Amino acid sequence: MDFPINPPIGERVRRKETERFVSGTGRYVDDLLPAGTLHVSFVRSSCAHARIKSIDVTAARAMPGVRAVYTGADIAAHVKPLRVGGSSVLRPVKLYPLAVDKVRYFGEPLAVVVADNRYLAEDAIDMVAVDYEMLPAVVDPEKAMEPGAALVHEEAGSNIVYKFHFATDGIDKVFQDAEVVIKERIRSHRITACPIEPRAYLAHYNKDEDTLTMWSATANPHSLRGRIAEIIDFPEGKIRVIAPDVGGSFGVKIQTYQEELLLPYLSRELGRPIKWCETRIEHMRNGRHGRDQIHYVEMALKKDGTMLGIRDKIIADMGSTYTVDHSIQAAALYMTGVYQIQNYSVDALGIATTKTTHGSLRGIGKADASYILERLVDIAARQLKIDPIELRLKNFIPAEAFPYRNVTGALYDSGQYHLAMRRTAEMAGYDRLRQEQIELRKQGIYRGIGVAFVMEPTSSSRIHATGGYASCRLRIDPSGAATVFSSMGEQGQGHETTIAQIVASQTGIPFDKITVIHGDTLPTPYGFGTGSSRSSVVLMPSAWVAGKLMRDKMLGIAARQLKVLPENLQIDGGKVFAKDHPEQSIAVMEIIRTAYGAIHLLPENMEPGLEVTGYFINPNIDYTPDDKGRMNTFSSYPYAAVIAVVDVDIETGMIKIVRYSTVHDCGNMINPQIVDTQQQGSIMQGIGAALYEELRYDEDGQLISSSFMDYRLPCAEEVPELQLEHIITPNPFTPLGAKGAGETGMLGPPPALCSAVEDALSPFGVKVRETPLTPDRVLNLIEKAQATPAHG
Amino acid sequence: MAKSITLTVNGKSYSGEADSRTLLVHFLRDALSLTGTHVGCVVGRCGACTVMWNGTAVKSCMVFAVQADGDEVVTVEGLVKDKRLHPLQQSFWKNDAVECGYCTPGMLMSAYGLLQKNRNPSDEQIKKAISGNLCRCTGYGNIVAAIKEAAGNFTK
Repeated sequence: MDFPINPPIGERVRRKETERFVSGTGRYVDDLLPAGTLHVSFVRSSCAHARIKSIDVTAARAMPGVRAVYTGADIAAHVKPLRVGGSSVLRPVKLYPLAVDKVRYFGEPLAVVVADNRYLAEDAIDMVAVDYEMLPAVVDPEKAMEPGAALVHEEAGSNIVYKFHFATDGIDKVFQDAEVVIKERIRSHRITACPIEPRAYLAHYNKDEDTLTMWSATANPHSLRGRIAEIIDFPEGKIRVIAPDVGGSFGVKIQTYQEELLLPYLSRELGRPIKWCETRIEHMRNGRHGRDQIHYVEMALKKDGTMLGIRDKIIADMGSTYTVDHSIQAAALYMTGVYQIQNYSVDALGIATTKTTHGSLRGIGKADASYILERLVDIAARQLKIDPIELRLKNFIPAEAFPYRNVTGALYDSGQYHLAMRRTAEMAGYDRLRQEQIELRKQGIYRGIGVAFVMEPTSSSRIHATGGYASCRLRIDPSGAATVFSSMGEQGQGHETTIAQIVASQTGIPFDKITVIHGDTLPTPYGFGTGSSRSSVVLMPSAWVAGKLMRDKMLGIAARQLKVLPENLQIDGGKVFAKDHPEQSIAVMEIIRTAYGAIHLLPENMEPGLEVTGYFINPNIDYTPDDKGRMNTFSSYPYAAVIAVVDVDIETGMIKIVRYSTVHDCGNMINPQIVDTQQQGSIMQGIGAALYEELRYDEDGQLISSSFMDYRLPCAEEVPELQLEHIITPNPFTPLGAKGAGETGMLGPPPALCSAVEDALSPFGVKVRETPLTPDRVLNLIEKAQATPAHG
Repeated sequence: MAKSITLTVNGKSYSGEADSRTLLVHFLRDALSLTGTHVGCVVGRCGACTVMWNGTAVKSCMVFAVQADGDEVVTVEGLVKDKRLHPLQQSFWKNDAVECGYCTPGMLMSAYGLLQKNRNPSDEQIKKAISGNLCRCTGYGNIVAAIKEAAGNFTK
């Protein structure tokens, strides 16, 4: 495909939105305080699994400044149940904004206090007395599947709440006949997104107008609006959801939450604005958790390293109030990754446990798949004594095979895997690194080199979930300035800048005169949440389409006046002129004035004004599987090659990342600066996941890492030397040639660092199968390996 | 127990009522409507609420408002002079050191605190100075570069 993209598309334009952020004039939900606002605080379950025998709110109601206290039962009588489960879940269950009868995870909200300020609300929640009948915590998903295990939802009859199966013919024969079979149990541990702004909501029911405005730190305003309408049985058209500036999401703010759906009810009931900003501890306990899949996975190979097939069994811990978050399917469909493997089977189970609900997190499902697959490839390389780069090069899908249909039906848009891997090896000085490693070992320095090649399916599209389209409405005002109304909100991705770049490129309206409105359901067209890195794949193309429609309209007006065919006209420098005769020109302002005020000069059948809506539909999505269960649910496939170098201190267990080299391909870049910054952040989040961060539950189901004290995010001092390069293989399925750019970075560190640490500690025969690689875990691994004499 | 306090914020004198337990960050945001200072964890771990308190960068969730009675506080809003961005703010913008913007005010104030004391910091010193400020978006690299560049143009 030819990509007719012109500046400022592709330029490192400075972000528009940054000016207000550095000035302290960004507006986040917590910055809003309408007159008369009441504040809420939630009474939360102090145990993982229990029946609620009674809740005594008498003392709390009598506390100073308390306006109201509601329990789950009070609420359930007046609202509809939450939409939980859905068609692809085996066992849908009924849940409410506050727990009724039973609590199913530590921290689940079960009552709410409304008070004059947040301090008083928090005082009062301590006065609510809850009497529990304790039930066994369901913590281990493998035990939860056994007969006789306590049930998280009795009415479901089982803790197995989701099943997915896929198999190619003759897969077992492939394994029977294989020269080599590598078999492992690998788990991706439980983590969470941790945007620096926790969740925050403000609901304001206006009695005079009978309307409801909901300000939410959400990444999914249109969907939230529908959910609110459903749950409080209020006309959707009278609800306006506004996501003002949102302080990061990384997936966690794309879902709707129990608290989020309760506030509109409270505001309507009490006739006052109701505000809640969660604390960090609440965020760790109640924000959606991610990863946490156990894979029993096998790979069949020839002795020469040719990969023949993969068999996988996935056990995914979905937590308690499970929703369909697609993480399991996303992992199951991509376990063959970037390799030419056409024999595959998977049995995946989603298990309900008494933990916080599982949900979206940067790289959802695909990160589990790429981590486990890349570890398996590394383990195979070690066992076969083949260099991990050579093994990958031998099995990569070749550049000429794209678009490539993988074994599960996924259609990979484009890629140059061999090139990316070789370029990374060159950049990292791979051959020299191997030499240095030998020298350093002699000096007692345990240096390891880890290779990974991760691929991130982006822009997911599923029926009634994410739709496969986005839109932008574009208006040029009579004054000559333009406004774009984007169907998707933003949480730091820089849409105000990139959309303006695209519209400026198409229409010739100067970048500085283009304003982008997003996150507000009133002026913006319907759209799905900002996730799955879909902005660049589907939203930006919709801005491109809107720009093109506008351009066509402007050229049509000019064509009639100049008596030149539109295709012979060009827009530049505030003028439209004939390409061959630049002296034949008309000012853009004159076109705008004509469109609004001199409509007798418009071409026949052209509507007045300058307002258009551009839709873009991902053209390469399958909404239903074929007769063999194959389908493509993502529309672009960015990837990255990684080589990580680490030194492991065997006395302390500390890991130092010496250098992290990566070559990334996200296709054409609308703004390479924004891609670079986002990728650096994404890589650091992956480093956190690999080395520091873990949500740990004890056997009673208590979350024991629930603050930044014990759930450690990487800080500035932990930034390694990064070598970052791009190769560009344009995505042929969008007019901009872009692929998703936000998530691939995060996928690289877990497999690359684990393989690097295993490599560093190979003299001990250490096997890395559990993460994160905290110092104590590394020391335990060394100790365990030393106690096992089988290695040399 | 409410107490009347007076403090100088960004060069202007403010008076207000504060309970003995009211955190400085809440006083700045709720009583003075200076919402540039953000709340990310309220336990002193994320740094989004960092302000200058009597010349030192501190996390304002770790200070009671009454402790700052009679004192001088500078918040991110105070960096803008005559509608012109401070060199640090300009440098953050130029170096793309900002994505969602939530950690940014705290990050700027920690950097401001560092540059008050050290006009020529090394990368290591910069990283140490902002090690108490968490950013989930940028991966810190551009922030360090921005602070380094601003050091040369720093004005109080």
